[in-house]
Parts: sequence; structure tokens; C-alpha cells
Amino acid sequence: MIGPRRIRLTALAAASLAVLLIATPAAGPIPTAAAAEGQATWAVHITLAPTWFDPAETPGIITPFMVLYAMHDALVKPMPGRPMTPSLAESWTVSRDGLVYEFALRRNVRFHNGEVMTAEDVKFSFERYRGASATLLKSKVAAVDVLDPSRIRFTLKQAWPDFLAFYATPATGAAWVVPKKYVEQVGDEGFKKAPIGAGPYKFVSFRPGVELTLEAHEQYWRKPPSVKTLVLRVIPDESTRLAALKRGEVDVAYSITGPLAEELRRTPGLALVPTHFMFTTWLVFPDQWDAKSPWHDRRVRLAANLAIDRPGINQAVYLGLSRLSYSFIPQGMEFFWTPPPYPFDPRHAKQLLAEAGYPNGFDGGDLSGDTIYGVAIGEPVVNYLQQIGIRLHLRPMERAAFFKEYGEKKLRGVIFSGSGAPGNAPTRLEQYAVSGGRYTYGAYPDVDGLYAEQASEMNPRARQQILHRMQQLIHDKAMFAPVIEPALLNGVGSRLEVHGLGLIANHAYSAPYEDLRLRRP
Amino acid sequence: MKRYIVKRVGYALVSLVLLSITIFLFVRLTGDPAVLLVEPGASQADLDAIHQQFGLDRPLWVQYGRFASSLLRGDLGHSFYYRTPVLELYLSRLPSSLLLAAAAMTFSLVIGIPTGIIAAVRVNRWWDSAGKIFALLGLSLPSFWVGLLLILFFSVYLGWLPSSGSGTAAHLVMPAFALGWYFAAAHMRLTRSSMLDVLGSEYVKLARLKGLPEALVIGKHAFKNALIPVLTLAGINLVIMVNVAVVVETVFAWPGVGRLLYEGIAFRDFPVVQATVILGGAMIVIVNLLVDILYALIDPRIRLDR
Repeated sequence: MIGPRRIRLTALAAASLAVLLIATPAAGPIPTAAAAEGQATWAVHITLAPTWFDPAETPGIITPFMVLYAMHDALVKPMPGRPMTPSLAESWTVSRDGLVYEFALRRNVRFHNGEVMTAEDVKFSFERYRGASATLLKSKVAAVDVLDPSRIRFTLKQAWPDFLAFYATPATGAAWVVPKKYVEQVGDEGFKKAPIGAGPYKFVSFRPGVELTLEAHEQYWRKPPSVKTLVLRVIPDESTRLAALKRGEVDVAYSITGPLAEELRRTPGLALVPTHFMFTTWLVFPDQWDAKSPWHDRRVRLAANLAIDRPGINQAVYLGLSRLSYSFIPQGMEFFWTPPPYPFDPRHAKQLLAEAGYPNGFDGGDLSGDTIYGVAIGEPVVNYLQQIGIRLHLRPMERAAFFKEYGEKKLRGVIFSGSGAPGNAPTRLEQYAVSGGRYTYGAYPDVDGLYAEQASEMNPRARQQILHRMQQLIHDKAMFAPVIEPALLNGVGSRLEVHGLGLIANHAYSAPYEDLRLRRP
Repeated sequence: MKRYIVKRVGYALVSLVLLSITIFLFVRLTGDPAVLLVEPGASQADLDAIHQQFGLDRPLWVQYGRFASSLLRGDLGHSFYYRTPVLELYLSRLPSSLLLAAAAMTFSLVIGIPTGIIAAVRVNRWWDSAGKIFALLGLSLPSFWVGLLLILFFSVYLGWLPSSGSGTAAHLVMPAFALGWYFAAAHMRLTRSSMLDVLGSEYVKLARLKGLPEALVIGKHAFKNALIPVLTLAGINLVIMVNVAVVVETVFAWPGVGRLLYEGIAFRDFPVVQATVILGGAMIVIVNLLVDILYALIDPRIRLDR
């Protein structure tokens, strides 16, 4: 028979043994503030799609989060200062065996239609989620149980250390909550036409491909927004976006590049603000596993790495505002290992080529890349490699065609690769550096072995060590030639005191919207 | 006459069927739309899910069969990107395109016809040379460049007009000019050559010999006859303006059909591209059919010859 003392001890032990992640709430009760007023307008570079109004259809790109952060809210999401910030969930716990995740929900959070959010809404939102990585995420979850209106439990089939990396980050939209009753009432199509969420801004109107208008949700739990109306206006041409910013027609203009960015920087009253997101570019040497290829020799791959003037490319293409990259994994990703930087050293590069038996260089075939980054960054890369004798022919390909051939392993020579897929270091490694990866042209047994080992390691510290070791091996082998993490260059006018760009690490757009503030006249 | 019309309608239908097959195949040659709906590096499972959702995992002939049967029912499909019926999208953009086309056409006729007449009346003189330069620039300057210059000058430097968007008459001025200039140049050239033909005809010479005032000869006798080919061209150009203002609508962020086509191409949105091209093609085929029938009604030789 178990006595009360034993029960208490067991309870204490369970509490201490459980891997508790009691997160502090990001904010307390709704602070009182002056009524929202004014309007802020964004010139958006990409066409807004109604699918972005529904978290269930989040397609695995960062762009829809431009809208999601306004209209909806998630249990846990990246916020200023913290990549996984409790939002609609006040806190969560993880069982010691890594199988059970329990979320305590924030009470009295209201959707835009006045309904109170409950655990049923969270369960419903998870179950109807069908966007990026939905199959993977759901295949790992055995059950979702509503314990009471403000507590929900996810039970996994087996321990999966990346559960939160998929559930609580932009890797998926599964944690973004929609009102069950309303969605059932209006259906999926009706929801896209008149979406209702729990975010800081309410839907007002949408003209497909033209303009989205939102209005402040005064009851937003974190804080009432101070700007009354937000307008996201689609202006596809970047010269026109800049003109609209100069005229004061818009307050923020996304994606201004090259000479226009220089002009923007020179214009009084406007500011050039770079944002960084999980996007990086690198060279792939698909022939390194072919013993007859020059790329088989590590010294040749290392020479290519030393021949590229990364700061020079950054200055020329991104006005020095991008991040230099020495890994194919973005710096902001979980489990990123910081490699030693490659110096720009063409002399040493030539020496390495001579040692490898190519004193006069060699014809390296094509440098295949897409027509955006593959040209803007690929062209200077070709020139730098040419200077040490590696002769490449730039082969710009239409984006879809490029990724099709890349994925089908049809490309040879050198590939100019890039990825902005959300996730963490293991998800990036799995796609590009491990046997069977969608874009893996070859692999190394030691890297493969470590990948298998980390997949079942539940101790985060031990897992990190394995993943760092993997990245170190990849660096030592000069498996890739990382180039740059391109920044998104944006223009900001003088009306916004807080524009929201860069507040959330690795988020490309303005957010959180409730933090925006117009300058007082 | 009945046989002639049936034959013409048959040709029109064959043209539309061929157009539907061509556009269906051509858009699919451009690559996989799923790749553009996810980030590079997305998993194969995500790509497969998109293929399945849009029926892109089916054989090509099955896809065409579905497309053709839907088309016959008036269903142009659902946009991959917008996830809404394409017809709804098209119709939501059409009024903007019609408005822009009407404004651009008005501009092109108001400028093109008088300059064409003056150039013909003052042939090989200063006015004619100025008209030729106007036409040369209109036909050769790319509309995106003209558009950007207009924005720079009238919006940024002078601050007179909004740089982009729609909603007021001021928003219409620059896109209508950028689109209309090309067509004004074409109308000016046709008016000039047509006027020169008419001015050299016997009945105009006779009118002059009879001592009619020059203004009456040009305005009443020459202009009316010279106008027929110009108006025929203008009618066809109006349909073209509605459907092909891709560049102008993109530069000025004008929410028309041309921009919809641009978005469709950019996102490999097959249903949008197919629908825009087919509806645009249908308009042109119908206008041509009507012109053929009208010509046949006016001139019996046409229907007897064919």
C-alpha cells in the first residue's frame, strides 16, 4: 500500500524528474492603452493569397506569416527575444520520456467574433492542419486529448526531439488556432473569405492580388494595437514600391534591391532596414564522389572556398547588409555550429590547386542556379573561381526547372543551391547532406552514422554535440562552399516610430504588429 | 449567307479548341508548380501532397479531359495560388481592365487620329515629321520604361499623381498614357496612310475642283472614309488592350486581367494562365467573327468568294 508520504514524494519526484519547461507568460492581463488610431501601409512585393488567411494551409514558406502574425495567434511562436514564446499557451511541460507535451492555455482569450478560445479549438486546428510537413507531424502524434477547456495534451507515438521545432515554429502552421465553431459553420472556403482569428488585427476586406485591410482587435490579450488600420498593398514592381515610399503613399516597402536600395539609403527621411531569415546560399559539388572528377579532391573544394570573396559579394549585391556564411545551415537555426570563417585567399587557393595536380586550373563545367540568386550571387562566384583557374559556365535556370533537375539529381559540375525552408539543423542536414536526402548527391558514412544517432537522442545537450560534430565533419571535408545569407532589404518611411522589422529574430517581415507605433506629429 | 456564317463559326470553334490544347500543353512545359508553392528544400511528401491536391499526379490526358469537360460546363477551375474559382478572379479583375482599356483607347484615338490627319494633310512637312517621331517613339519605347519615367516625373518629382494602385481618376492617368501611347502611334500611322489614300482619290480631287473649302473636303469627305479602317483596328485593339496590358498593369500595380496573367505565370498557376489566355483568345475570336460577318453583310463579294 502506498502511503501519503510516498505519494507526496512520488509527486515531488515526478515534478522534478519531468523535463519541465515552465514558461513565463509573455505578458500579463490586457494593459489599458489609448485607443488605436491612424493607418500604416505596407508595399508588399509578393501577391497575397487567401490561403495565407488560414493557418491550416501554411505552405512551408515564411511569407504567409506576414499575414498570420496579424490575424491569428499560436500556442507558441517566435517573438522578440525568444524563438519559442508562449502565446496562446501560458506554459507547457514535457514528460521525461519525451512522449507527452502538455500545454496550459491562456484564459479568456477571445477570437475576433467574441468567442472564447478553448482547448477544443487547439485540437481542432491541429487536426485540420494540412499544410507543410502535416503528414510528418501527424504521423508522430498518437493522440491529442482535451483535459479541460484550458489544458491540452499531445501524446507522441515515440520520442521525437523535434516536435516543438515543427509545432512551435514557422516550420508549420499547426499551432495557429482558429475558432472551431466558426470554421464548421462557414466551411473552409467561407473561412478564407471572412477569416476570424485570435490575432491583434481583424480582417476587414481583401481584394485578391491587390490589397488586404485589417483593423485593430482592441481585446487582443498581449496588448491592444496602437495603429488602428493596417493595409498590405501588393506592388509587384520594386521601382514603383520605392516611388510609393518616397511619396509617403506607403510606410514600409519590402524588398528593394541593388541600385534602388542605394538610392533609398541616400534619400533623406527614408531608412534602409535589412531583415534576416532562415535563408542561405551555398555551392554544391555533386561530382565529389566521382574519383575521376577534380572535385573529388578535398584540396580543390577547399580552394573554391578560399577563392570566394564573401564580404566583396555582400558589399556589391547587398550593400554589406547580408550575413556572411560559412555553413549551409543558417546561423539562426537550432543546433547551428559556428564554423571557422574561410578567409579570402586566392594565393593559397592556387597553391592548393597545384598540389592537387591542377596548376593551370581546370574546366569545372556548369554552375547551375536559379535566375534570381543563382545569377546575382552566382555571377561573382564564377568570376572569383575563374581567377584561380577554375573555369565555370554560369547556367541560370528558371526556378522551378532548376529545383526539378536539382531534386532529380541531374545537375553536374557545380550547383548554386539555396534554401529558406524552416526547421532546424537536422532537417536541413537530412535534405542536403545525408543519404536519401531530396537534394543529396552523395554522402559520407560518418556523417550518415551521426545523423542516425542524433535522431533518437532525447538529451538536447548530447544531441547538440552530435549535430555539431556532423557539421564539423562537413566543414572539414569542404563538402560545400557556403557563400552568403542574403538579407531582405526594406525601405521605411518617417511616419512609423516602430516599424516592427527585425524585432523577431529570423523573421523577414514587420511583426509583432501590436508593437507598431506611429510617430506623434 | 447562312452557310458562310456556319463556316465562320466552325472555324472559330476549331480555333478555340486548338487554343485550349496549346495553352494546356505549353503551361505544363514550363515546369512543376508545386516547386513554387513551397520553399526550396521542401520534403518530397509536401510536394506529393500538392501534386495530389491539384490532380497533377494524374496522366496528362486525364488532366486535359477534366479541364475540357469543366470548360464546357463553364468551369475554368480553381486557382492553385488563390484557391478560388478562376472565373470569379477573372471577373473581379475585368472591370479594372475594361476601365483602363477604355481610357487608353480614348487617349490613343484623341491623340492618334488628329495627329494622323495633320501628318497626312501636311505631308513631308514639319508636322508630318513630328508625327512620325511620335509614332516611332510610341511603337519602340518599352511600356515598362515609359511607365517608370512617368512615375518618376509625375509622382516622385512633381508629386501630382499617385504612383500606383487604383480607385480614383488620378490613378488612371499614367497607366492609360503608358498603355495608350503604343496604340496612339499605331492609330496615327494608320490614319495618316488612310488619309493619304483618300486625299489622292478622284472624288476628293473633284471636291477640290468644285471649290469646296479645304476644311470641308478634309473633314467631311476625306476623314469619314479614312476613318473606317482606323475604327476597325481600334475595335480589335480594345480587346487586345483588355487582355495584354501585362507590363503596364504590373508596373502601376493596376488590378486588371493582365496582372492576373502575370501572377499566374509567376506562380505556375496553370488554371489562371489557361483561363486568362482562353478568355482573351475567345474575345479576339468573337470580335474577328463579328467583323467577318459584318464585312460579309456589307460586301456580298466576300461571302460569295469564300
